[in-house]
Amino acid sequence: MQVKLVLAPLAGTAVDPDVVRVATTLAKAWKAQVLLIHVIEVRWNMPLDAVLEADTERGEVILDEATRLAEQAGVQVESELVQAREASAAIIDTARDRGADLIVLGMPYRRRLGRTYVGKTIQSVYVGAHCAVLAYRQEETR
Amino acid sequence: MKDPGEAKADRESEPPPLTLEEERRAASGRLPGNRYVRIIRPAAGDFRRSRGHYVATERSLVPESRFGRTYQRLRRFFLGKRLGMEEEAERRVSKLTGLAVLAPSNVSSSAYATEEMLRVVALAGVAALTLAMPIAFAIVAVLAIIVVSEMRVISLYPGGGGSYIVARDNVGIFPGLVAAAALLVDYVLTVAVSTAAGVIAISSVVPELGDARVGLGIAMIVLLVLGHLRGIREAGLVFAVPTYSYIAAVGLLIAYGTYRIATGDVPAPVLPRDEAEVTGVTTVTALLLLRAFAAGAVAITGTEAVANVVQGFKAPEKRNAMLTLLLMAGTLATLFVGLTFLATRIGIVPDAGEIESVNSMIARSVFGDASLPYFAIQLTTAIFLLVAANTGFSGFPRLAAVLANDRFMPRQFAYQGDRLSNSFGIVALALVAGSILAMFGGSVNALVPLYTIAVFLSFFLSQAGLLRRWLRLREARWWLWAAVNTVGAGIMAGLVVTIAITRLFEGAWLVLVLLPLIVLMLYGINRHYVAVHDALTLTDLDRPLPEPTPPAVIVPIARLDRSALQAIAFARSISPHVRAVHVATTPQSAEEFKRRWARWAGRVPLDIIESPYRSLVEPLLRYIDRVNERDPRPLTIVLAEFVPRHWWEFVLHSQTAFRLKASLLFRPDTVVINVPYHFRDTADVAGDAATPRTEDPG
Repeated sequence: MQVKLVLAPLAGTAVDPDVVRVATTLAKAWKAQVLLIHVIEVRWNMPLDAVLEADTERGEVILDEATRLAEQAGVQVESELVQAREASAAIIDTARDRGADLIVLGMPYRRRLGRTYVGKTIQSVYVGAHCAVLAYRQEETR
Repeated sequence: MKDPGEAKADRESEPPPLTLEEERRAASGRLPGNRYVRIIRPAAGDFRRSRGHYVATERSLVPESRFGRTYQRLRRFFLGKRLGMEEEAERRVSKLTGLAVLAPSNVSSSAYATEEMLRVVALAGVAALTLAMPIAFAIVAVLAIIVVSEMRVISLYPGGGGSYIVARDNVGIFPGLVAAAALLVDYVLTVAVSTAAGVIAISSVVPELGDARVGLGIAMIVLLVLGHLRGIREAGLVFAVPTYSYIAAVGLLIAYGTYRIATGDVPAPVLPRDEAEVTGVTTVTALLLLRAFAAGAVAITGTEAVANVVQGFKAPEKRNAMLTLLLMAGTLATLFVGLTFLATRIGIVPDAGEIESVNSMIARSVFGDASLPYFAIQLTTAIFLLVAANTGFSGFPRLAAVLANDRFMPRQFAYQGDRLSNSFGIVALALVAGSILAMFGGSVNALVPLYTIAVFLSFFLSQAGLLRRWLRLREARWWLWAAVNTVGAGIMAGLVVTIAITRLFEGAWLVLVLLPLIVLMLYGINRHYVAVHDALTLTDLDRPLPEPTPPAVIVPIARLDRSALQAIAFARSISPHVRAVHVATTPQSAEEFKRRWARWAGRVPLDIIESPYRSLVEPLLRYIDRVNERDPRPLTIVLAEFVPRHWWEFVLHSQTAFRLKASLLFRPDTVVINVPYHFRDTADVAGDAATPRTEDPG
């Protein structure tokens, strides 16, 4: 498997540092580049290119922190902030447009109705992405 | 009206906007209807936006050159990672860490206060040494007054600044500045005295090191600078071990010594290594007792440190600072009285040669020569004294920052470095303290009068300030506080006068000369800042921008080359009134330049100055002066500056532009603009050949 670009979507949850660590470890082994992405989901009652000041600032903080971690790991890193109606579609499209070979997804440990809950973004990317997808689930919180 | 194609071409030829604002680009997704917007951030990584403005990230501070990055790595290695402003609260110290940073100066005086007192008392003979005990109790009583007053200062002025703020607010600017000057001197001498005393403690064990005490002291100051540049919290953690080890070791010495005396096993006194005979050269007089009191009162020094750095404590700041002060003073009183008790009961006589300390002799008497506890005490004392300068390093920079914010010291002192410490103050303190240490040859005895007079003066002004406050505001129980501060101010005034008179020629004169000079300097700095503030402050924000008039531009040209053309082009872009000027050293070169200029299609008026004495800068400056006398318009000098690829290549060029720029720096109404021409590989420059040339481009 030849991997040149690893895409790591970040949502600003507690699993983000783990996702960056997994993505950078794999990228380092393959001498690949890491693309960090944060998707701002825009509600349907607003235009898609609306300027969402607070969300943009939060996204920048998430990406800056992740970039710092990735740079410390010694990999070449790039970050991208995207606005979309649905995060999964934007992740899939960005992966295709940028020619990503692997998407590393992070799942915070959550349970609903007695079962581990996998969000719809994870499921949609798993199903819809053109490239390999690796899902990292956070360990069970005690 | 422009047609659409023309308008589009105009838009495309427009330069990109001069902003870091993000751009939103819509893109279509894989599935119909899937669209997303990419937010292009031109400064991603270096800046992020917050509340409508840009925030520089840590990455923007990473230098681009290899040398710069190496220097940064070294800084990070020695000083630790950069700290953001939001981390300030986490860097504050607890009571125990605060005690480790602030107590050393105060508690460490127990290592030499007894000795200083005994030295004076010994002038009346060995029998007079017993007088040390009542004097020690009197000093502890004064300490209590000072501590109570300092607790009031902490409570009333939690912003820090200590005696300076108290005196400034209650008595006036001038007394405030005298207190500030005294405190600054105090902190500088805290560092010098502590390191000198630490080195003496080492030379007590290893007498051969006595000759290298200045060098050892300066090396220690350098270590302390590194510790404090890392931040007050780190300094506290690093120096907590020596502080608590000293307290434990000397506490053990006092406990065991007292036990032996109480059980009738009084240790035999050891003789100093320098066995100069102690004979009474004077009788016991009131003046001698006063001198002994003044010498022993060095124990009180350092008490002022806590009130100066209240904001360095964790919340509740005031309570933590007061508890730290109480703990510190309690520890000092116990150690000072305990050591004086042992010294007088055992009959220790101070070493005239200052090679062995009194505490060392007490420890040898109690535990025996070459015993493990003796070495443990000496080692902990040496290390503790060496780190006692901590207090100066935590107090001086903070006081200097308070003074800088009040515009009495250069603004640089208020600047917080990478680790939120006042780096400028730390380095300045180290430089001054190191110089004083070297000047006095590392002798504590020579430094103590300098040290104490400054501290007691600041205490006096603080006491006087508080007294004035009680009399002015008449708050609850004002009369009680007024009485306490009257006594305190009286004793402190007495101490200042006693030291000033009795030790005037032993170094106290230096402080008496220095203090007025420092006060004058602080005033001078303030006058400058006030004048600058008055000159620059915009009082009317509705005032529009002044109408610009095109300046008269002079472009000094050394050769008609690419860098000259770039400078002339720039000059023409800012004004139509451009004149080039060339300085030639021979008539032939002047003619040659005139011919080349005439052939050139630039059509800019030129003046050639022939300089038969080969001087370039001076004739140019005089030419500029004469032109400016005739033309009252603001003058702009555009300089073509050749920038070589590597720093070391600078020495290969004469850098006339640089010299001219330096000469024009202070010329009024003159704008100097540099137009740098960066040297590139000749491969992409037409007309250049690999053959060696004899012309110098700069």
